[in-house]
Amino acid sequence: MTSHTTVLVVDDSRVSRLMARKFIQSRQPDWQVEEAATGEQALEVAATLTPAPRLILVDVNMPGMGGLAAAAQLRAAYPGAHISLVTANVQNATRQRAEEIGVGFMEKPITEARLHALIDSLE
Amino acid sequence: MSMFNLTELQNDALIEIFNIGVGHAARSMSEIVNEAVTMSVPSISFLNRAAAAAMLGSEDNQRMCGVSQHYDGAFNTEAILMFPEDKSLEIVRLMVGESVPLKELTEMEQEAMNEIGNIILNSCVGTLANIFEHELSGSLPQYHVGSSEQILTASGGLADALVLMLHIDFILETHQIHGYVAFILDLTALQDLRAQVDRYLAALDGHV
Repeated sequence: MTSHTTVLVVDDSRVSRLMARKFIQSRQPDWQVEEAATGEQALEVAATLTPAPRLILVDVNMPGMGGLAAAAQLRAAYPGAHISLVTANVQNATRQRAEEIGVGFMEKPITEARLHALIDSLE
Repeated sequence: MSMFNLTELQNDALIEIFNIGVGHAARSMSEIVNEAVTMSVPSISFLNRAAAAAMLGSEDNQRMCGVSQHYDGAFNTEAILMFPEDKSLEIVRLMVGESVPLKELTEMEQEAMNEIGNIILNSCVGTLANIFEHELSGSLPQYHVGSSEQILTASGGLADALVLMLHIDFILETHQIHGYVAFILDLTALQDLRAQVDRYLAALDGHV
């Protein structure tokens, strides 16, 4: 485990970002959690993080480029990061796209149990 | 046109499909509010907007808040989730927990309701899309406050559209909250929906 871990939460909903931050920090209080409200902003924020993000959570339905396009670009830019779509869109088609671009899929609402399981799986 | 006719079998199938969708939505709602939630789908009605608004407003003319999302794909529809306005802060409080101060909670109320609408509507619509094996693409959620009639008309200009009304009771253990989900469909969308139901029934028949 590295001494410093950065995480990026990408969601246009402030409430969802707040909840994700709360649940991440209840498991890993030392992790640095940064937020972005759009895919475009996510690419900018991710580039400023040192070290590169270990975990990136990306909402799908967002204004601008949207979460799928953002996740694909983040995947290419950060091959070592665990990237997961976090979405209320439970359609099989969305799960398939997540697989195609090589990212995980987590259903909304974000719950403490789901996020902790994901964090534990990174250890 | 004031009514849209389905055979008894088509109607049964549609209710069953929505039941599954609403079951998923109930699970999502339960995870949002951290309480056991049951939702029922007692019936489906096809009504014009005025009749649908009258049905929703018949209880005590209360102000509602609504979250709508437009979906395109297997059929095109406007899906709307409505709650009594005076319950929304309570719902948001249940969602974010006690640690958030009231001022901040009030500031994020609209955004939080949008997110709740997004989760519940997508949970329901996504299940329908999976059952129909056709994708439905959703827009970003939009928030409305007003009478049920204002909310039903705010989201679209389809004068001749019918409202597929699901009256859903959200029953929380300690908070009795009644919510409604409505789907607005024009004639083409209704025909597309009926075709999807027929396809679903044909597939079932093939497996019997």
